Amino acid sequence: MGDTAALLATAFTDTLGYWWIIIPTIFLGLIVGGIPGFSAANTIIILLPLTLAMELQTGLVFMVTLYCAARMGAGIPAILVNIPGTAGAAATPLDGYPMTKQGRGQQALAMSFVASSIGGLLTTLVALAAMPLLARVGFYMHSVEMVVVMLFGISLIASIAAQDMLKGLIAGFFGLMIGAIGTDVVYATPRGTFGFLELYDGVPLIPALVGLFAVSEAFIIIEKRVILTAKGEAAMRNPTWHATFEGISIALKRWWHIIWTSMIGLVIGVIPGAGAAIASFVAYQQSRTYSKTPELYGTGHAEGLIAPEAANNGVTSGTLVPLLVLGIPGGATAAIMLVVLQFQGVSFGPSLFMSNPEVGYGMFMAMAVAYLLMFLTILPLSRYMCRVTTVPTIYLAPIIISFTLVGAFVPREYMFDMQLALAFGVLGYLARRTGYHVAAILIGVILGPLLETYFMRALQKSNGDIMTLFSSTLGNILWLCLVASLILPAFLEWRRKTKTEAAA
Amino acid sequence: MTLKTTLNRRRFLGTTAAAAGLTLATPAILRADDDFPSRNISVYIPTAEGGGADRNFRAFASVWKDKLGTDFEPGFYPGASGRVGYELYMGKAEPDAYNLIFGNMGPEVLNWAMQAPSFNIDDYLYFGRVDTDPGALFVGAESPLQSLDQIIETAKTRPLNVGTSRMAHPASIGVLSLGEATGAEFNLIPLGGGKNTVAGAVTGEVDFSVLTSGTVISAGDAVKTLLVFGENRVGAALDDAPSMNDAFGTDLPEMLSSRAFGIHQRAVDDYPERFETLTSTFAETFEDPALLESYIAARGTPEYLNYGGVDDCAAFKAAMLELGERYKPLLTGA
Repeated sequence: MGDTAALLATAFTDTLGYWWIIIPTIFLGLIVGGIPGFSAANTIIILLPLTLAMELQTGLVFMVTLYCAARMGAGIPAILVNIPGTAGAAATPLDGYPMTKQGRGQQALAMSFVASSIGGLLTTLVALAAMPLLARVGFYMHSVEMVVVMLFGISLIASIAAQDMLKGLIAGFFGLMIGAIGTDVVYATPRGTFGFLELYDGVPLIPALVGLFAVSEAFIIIEKRVILTAKGEAAMRNPTWHATFEGISIALKRWWHIIWTSMIGLVIGVIPGAGAAIASFVAYQQSRTYSKTPELYGTGHAEGLIAPEAANNGVTSGTLVPLLVLGIPGGATAAIMLVVLQFQGVSFGPSLFMSNPEVGYGMFMAMAVAYLLMFLTILPLSRYMCRVTTVPTIYLAPIIISFTLVGAFVPREYMFDMQLALAFGVLGYLARRTGYHVAAILIGVILGPLLETYFMRALQKSNGDIMTLFSSTLGNILWLCLVASLILPAFLEWRRKTKTEAAA
Repeated sequence: MTLKTTLNRRRFLGTTAAAAGLTLATPAILRADDDFPSRNISVYIPTAEGGGADRNFRAFASVWKDKLGTDFEPGFYPGASGRVGYELYMGKAEPDAYNLIFGNMGPEVLNWAMQAPSFNIDDYLYFGRVDTDPGALFVGAESPLQSLDQIIETAKTRPLNVGTSRMAHPASIGVLSLGEATGAEFNLIPLGGGKNTVAGAVTGEVDFSVLTSGTVISAGDAVKTLLVFGENRVGAALDDAPSMNDAFGTDLPEMLSSRAFGIHQRAVDDYPERFETLTSTFAETFEDPALLESYIAARGTPEYLNYGGVDDCAAFKAAMLELGERYKPLLTGA
């Protein structure tokens, strides 16, 4: 124990000594995270010659910082201009962007930074303390259990559809159908690809994401002079430090919310193959379910912004656990880190903490230091970042479309993906104009293929026996929780009404 | 008689149009330059950047480029088990020997046996095999099944779930052959890629997994290898696991993944000199000790480096197609 504490203390002070690489990397990460299509994973790949040339500890600090900063950066355009930089930030604009339109963009950014930093820092410490225990989560969360987790996320469609159930469900099912495009997960038979090779691997997420959210938003805002309301514009013209502190205060008052939603992210993050998109939707859904004011979600509600941001940063720490303890990367960025560190001679797996403890503890310490320094460096910037919302839409809309089209192109470098983003933009525009919620479509597109993968795998393992979905104890507990989370809001609403009527 | 030729506007335009038409109509071969390669060579890679193929390609190309006197520009086109990359290469890349494909002759050719591509599979050929990597059967370090005997005995009483990267994979055929040889029952579960296949075995999602052994080696002590569908050339790195033929007295061919460079057949026909330059410099690369160093630096498995020319590759491709046809009903659920 004493040795471990000494190792941790040394790792912490050593990592602080790398501030000269952490701070520039934070800004690089915020930029690549904020541009759709770019991510920590593809930035590490692009910079591979540089990363491989770095000494082990420097490379480690660089990669971990980039990973955390990119995750946090993805929320910035999601809040300010309705462009989620990655699928992990897809739930952020649901409440972040309405806040911006109301002129509370600065508060929203501050809340997001606080939730991300505290969520990330806290889950890093929990992951470090409970690593052996957390690594076991993957041993219990198999395909059957993951089907239920996916349903938690997908049930958000019903919540979003609450105002107009029929339209909401149509949008959700439409999204699920789009998500089913591509080769099937078992025999790789093409379905609904319309002969397009580019759709064989399914509908690419980034073009769908930026198309539905950003491009359609650009079409909408062009009809107005600025994206802000009149009151919001007045507030944004003269941003003050007060707004930043107000955002910090709002977030800190919801410390418990940050804690439990970041823990959802941590637990989902340690499951190999799950990811930030699932975590943020599940956290948002859970946050809404247990809220006393569920009707405020989607209108610029603080909890609706805090939950996905805390959760997706919780995923960041979570993905390191299976990588370090089992040698299995929990996500794409962790997989790239594995390649780079193996090149440096590090062997991952159960023996890592014996053979290279400085790497194991160093990664978590790098993450903790990165979140600390990120909090201090980025928070003052929210006052200036939010000025982007005052740019007239005749300039802002073309900039959004240009950036998002480049972002759609980057991951696969297909011209087709730019056309697809535009097509999704038109689809999103029509959906908004006719009262269909684009988020419901997007949830189907993102979670549909994952649900299908786990569902088909569960069936295959049991030779097609559907009852396999109720064959595990943990799975059954999760089913009960799912049913409870679907019934509970209706029950609470009924009780509130009864109380109100009784009082009247 | 004097012929007087004047160049008026109509004649000028007519002559220009005729010359341009003639130039465009002239077969590319007549316009060919002799100083091949005069520019960089584009390489289509049908898998994602940062994966095993990427590492393998970079390690090999770093030495080959000096022999060829030009650089390589990789382009990554993953999707649908490699199908996207091949379709793009065959459909969009100019067949001029400046465009190559770097694929895996094992799973990617097996794919054609499952579902024919839109092009004729004889319209491209592999000309340079880089490595051969046998499939391996492995369990998670904490699996209750810790020996081959246990696996066979259990699989005779109930079908065991076996994780595989994808259905059409040489390692999948390996485990199906094991079932045929022992009477054990195995249920293949595609887990979508090497990373997930390792995770499946380690976390107990499946009873055990089969995969290209290079990836199994990099999983370290999180897994334990029990059988190799070919010769175990790396010994302890694969836990000294026996080969399938040694363990069960079978006479099966090695179930190999094999990375190789391919080219359009039309490029070979139209530009024989260019093709000769490619094949001869490819062979020279194998004689250079720098190749081994490059592989070791890239954390590859140098034991798997295995030169193969046009004939070796053609034989491998034919064998994979034959295997695919034989196991098609089991791999496609037909």
